[in-house]
Amino acid sequence: MPITRRQFIQRSGLATAGALLGPGIFGNPLVKSAMANAIGSRFLVVLFLEGGNDGLNTVTPVTNGGGLLRTAYEGHRDLGGSSGLQLTPTDLQLTGIGADPNTGADLALHPGLSGLKDLYDAGQVAVLQGCGYPDFSLSHEESRGIWETGNPLGASALAGTGWVGRHLAGCFSSSDIPAVNIENFIAGEYFQNTTSVLAIRRLRDFGFPYDEFDEDDIAAKREAFEALHAAASAGDPSVIQLLGDAGNATLVSSESYPPLHNNYEDDRPTFSEAYSDINRGTARDLREVAKIIYGVSNGEPNVNARYFQVTNSGYDTHSNQGGADPDGRHFDLHREVGDSLKVFYDDLADMGVANDVLTLVWSEFSRRIPQNSNGTDHGSQGPMFAIGGGVNGGVYGAHPNIESSALDQDGNTVYTQDANPYRSTDFRDVYGTVLKQWLNMSEFDILTDVLALDSGFDPASYWTAADFDLPFL
Amino acid sequence: MGDENTLLDASAARHFLRRTGFGALPEEISDYAGLTRGQAADLRLGFKRSRYKPGSGKDLFKVQDRYLSFLLKRRTPGLQEKLTLFWHDHFSTNNAGVGNPRLMSLQNRLLRNNCKGNFRDLVKEIGRDVAMVEFLDTQDNHKSEPNENYGRELLELFTLGVHDFSGSENYRQSDIVQIARAFSGWRYIPQKYKLYFDPTQHDFTIEFPGRGPKTIFTDVGGWGPAGRSFDDLGEGEPEIDRVVDILFDHTDTDGKNTVARRTARRLLECFAHGGYADPVYAQPAVDAVIAESGFDQHFELEPLIRAILVNDAFYETHSSAPHGPGTRKSVKWPVDFVISTLRMLDIKPKKQRVWGGSFITLREHVARIGQSPMEPPSVFGWDWENAWITTGSVLARSAFARDIATTRVGGKSTRLRPTERIDPNLTDPGAIVDAACEVLGIADQLISAERTAFIDYLTSEGGGPLDLQDEDFVDRKLNGLFGLLIQCAAYQVH
Repeated sequence: MPITRRQFIQRSGLATAGALLGPGIFGNPLVKSAMANAIGSRFLVVLFLEGGNDGLNTVTPVTNGGGLLRTAYEGHRDLGGSSGLQLTPTDLQLTGIGADPNTGADLALHPGLSGLKDLYDAGQVAVLQGCGYPDFSLSHEESRGIWETGNPLGASALAGTGWVGRHLAGCFSSSDIPAVNIENFIAGEYFQNTTSVLAIRRLRDFGFPYDEFDEDDIAAKREAFEALHAAASAGDPSVIQLLGDAGNATLVSSESYPPLHNNYEDDRPTFSEAYSDINRGTARDLREVAKIIYGVSNGEPNVNARYFQVTNSGYDTHSNQGGADPDGRHFDLHREVGDSLKVFYDDLADMGVANDVLTLVWSEFSRRIPQNSNGTDHGSQGPMFAIGGGVNGGVYGAHPNIESSALDQDGNTVYTQDANPYRSTDFRDVYGTVLKQWLNMSEFDILTDVLALDSGFDPASYWTAADFDLPFL
Repeated sequence: MGDENTLLDASAARHFLRRTGFGALPEEISDYAGLTRGQAADLRLGFKRSRYKPGSGKDLFKVQDRYLSFLLKRRTPGLQEKLTLFWHDHFSTNNAGVGNPRLMSLQNRLLRNNCKGNFRDLVKEIGRDVAMVEFLDTQDNHKSEPNENYGRELLELFTLGVHDFSGSENYRQSDIVQIARAFSGWRYIPQKYKLYFDPTQHDFTIEFPGRGPKTIFTDVGGWGPAGRSFDDLGEGEPEIDRVVDILFDHTDTDGKNTVARRTARRLLECFAHGGYADPVYAQPAVDAVIAESGFDQHFELEPLIRAILVNDAFYETHSSAPHGPGTRKSVKWPVDFVISTLRMLDIKPKKQRVWGGSFITLREHVARIGQSPMEPPSVFGWDWENAWITTGSVLARSAFARDIATTRVGGKSTRLRPTERIDPNLTDPGAIVDAACEVLGIADQLISAERTAFIDYLTSEGGGPLDLQDEDFVDRKLNGLFGLLIQCAAYQVH
């Protein structure tokens, strides 16, 4: 039985908060060697566009090519005014990318994504079209859970854990802290119960809150906190262990992570300023990631995170979505993300690690192909982006068929793996390709531990690319 | 096994009070100890309907501040506020989407006023609530292209849920499309926040024959292929209440009332523990409290809540240490953690602040710990239980504990006064630790290693008899002890 996100979180028990360290942490502090396995010197950043990003106004057909994508697009999206969502060829003239591999239609990014377009032109962006899964859900909660778990078929072995989490559990131990979510919570992708994931909003604020007026007592307080949480880690039931483990991880990392803020600000003021100039959450969040990557690259003690999560919200544009007007809601979201990713890439390039960082962008679904009066309702397949110096830039996969005759009764594109020119990209193949080509997991481990199918399912029916070899990596 | 006639001892009374309110004060425990479960539930549920709203200003922070201050007031009924917060989570609406704190405040009053009333009426009211109308786009539901946002969440989150207890789907996408039509044409007058029906913006069948009849649930819900029409009492204005009436008649694949089961399960999940997220685990207790209360017949919440509060399910988390792997506990909601701590220690914030450490406001504390009222993260509300616990929230809980333990300035009532809470003549470190644990209600929740850690902390400057008349020592170590107690694992759960 499929479970909802809330059930998923609660059933996952110990795995939930992710911030898990075994009781041995203080006797066996933070061994760096375990980090040297799968990911090596690389990093993975997952950027979630929360609410369902309108894919059709993210990667938009500008011409028909050999098909009818543009004609269909103009039929579904109204022109002009505050309620019109249609992007005209003029709106799209500066953000053209390659052609749709299937129809040959010229494609363009939304004009708000000009920052991403710069990276595209430099060959650092793979546009992965038509990503989705069979029998798609139009519920935010269900669909997000499916993407986070990588488990649209409800395989029992995968219940309660996220796809990144299962990878981490296979590669890291209880004494490692391999991942940071730039959040107040742990994202579903990272759920597991083997290793530790930190939730840090801002490094600067992550220092342990001691009473500074009684400095002489700080050592005693620290010792007591450590002993209390070690006792809880060894106690019962699992929620008490979770509290103990989270307390331990917090204490250790609250000492090693906050200095990364000043190190970065001191050494890289120009880049810090560039994020500030964007003045939006995604830029500030990616700056926190950059600070940590900078710290890891410099070999700071007890700082070993190589996996990150960032979320940008606001994509549930049922109303007032806006089109090409820069004051519009969707435009604003695109500009925030596009500009932030550009500064982030430039920052990493300047650090000399741009080829080592892969950023993967996803949303829980795309939106309805025909617009409603001034927005769009929930939809199905949408584009993903893979960004970084190690990416083979270009457009991959087929733009979904948006001709009215091809839509389902609700007006959504239909996922298909049948031999068909408009074949969808299964999002699990994107994950699989990242796991295999970027994180160096073997196909066997991927199929056993991360993207397992229950017995009775034929993998050939669910993978777009044989052997997780989508060519973007 | 117990029932409504089971007597509460002091420990059970404490459990009852903290699960149905914000912490348990000694005088409250003595009021409830000796009552039966049924008497306790009746007493706790006896509060009068309230029309309180936390201000009407334009400033969200002020609305949040007033709301938290109201929770701290001695005369505010604890269960009323636990329920109001539960419904805030259930009908999750945030100011980021509404953009008007006055509307959030009015919705808060609606939830409080109906917190133990009729659930069907509450669902009808929330569909007309202006904050909700704005949040889920009813205001933007035009006949030309009906907006599905409210219709979907009405089914998925507010009433039926996606799946029933057997895992079968409770509705189809086509049902949402039809229900969206019912909500077209509802608008509100800006500034006056008064809802009205604009028939010129309503989707009438005669104008849109291609959309088919206004019929839903043709293969789910228990009506057979004919389904149910929601325009049978007339098209237009009556449709939205008719939709709600139909939802409340929906039966699941077991033939049980779908809304009654889901609502009872959610209340159990909140008031008993997170295990009730699992329908298989929940089903026996859910069906029992519905049968006892008749909730599926009348949808009155008060008898349902009473049935939950006398059920063994509610007492499953009432247990003493040492716990086993199977022991059930719930993580306290951040608002509960903050408000109950202040109540039990009798610390009265001044200008919304605890006057220690960071000097940040209560509003900022609860937000950093993960629960900013009027700002739930999305229409799904907050994630409960273990999801409250992350490195970030641990740090924020510790910061609150630090602030409490270092309240040094301000008037007498703003300070932690530990020697008013425990006997200042105590000298034995173990006895002092035990007395401090008793104040916070966790004396029977610690394992020996934790108790030892507290004693070691208290005696870190030297063992032997301690002097609680020594103000410097009290200020440093006894305050510090309370700070550590607030941070320990046992205090985070109930």
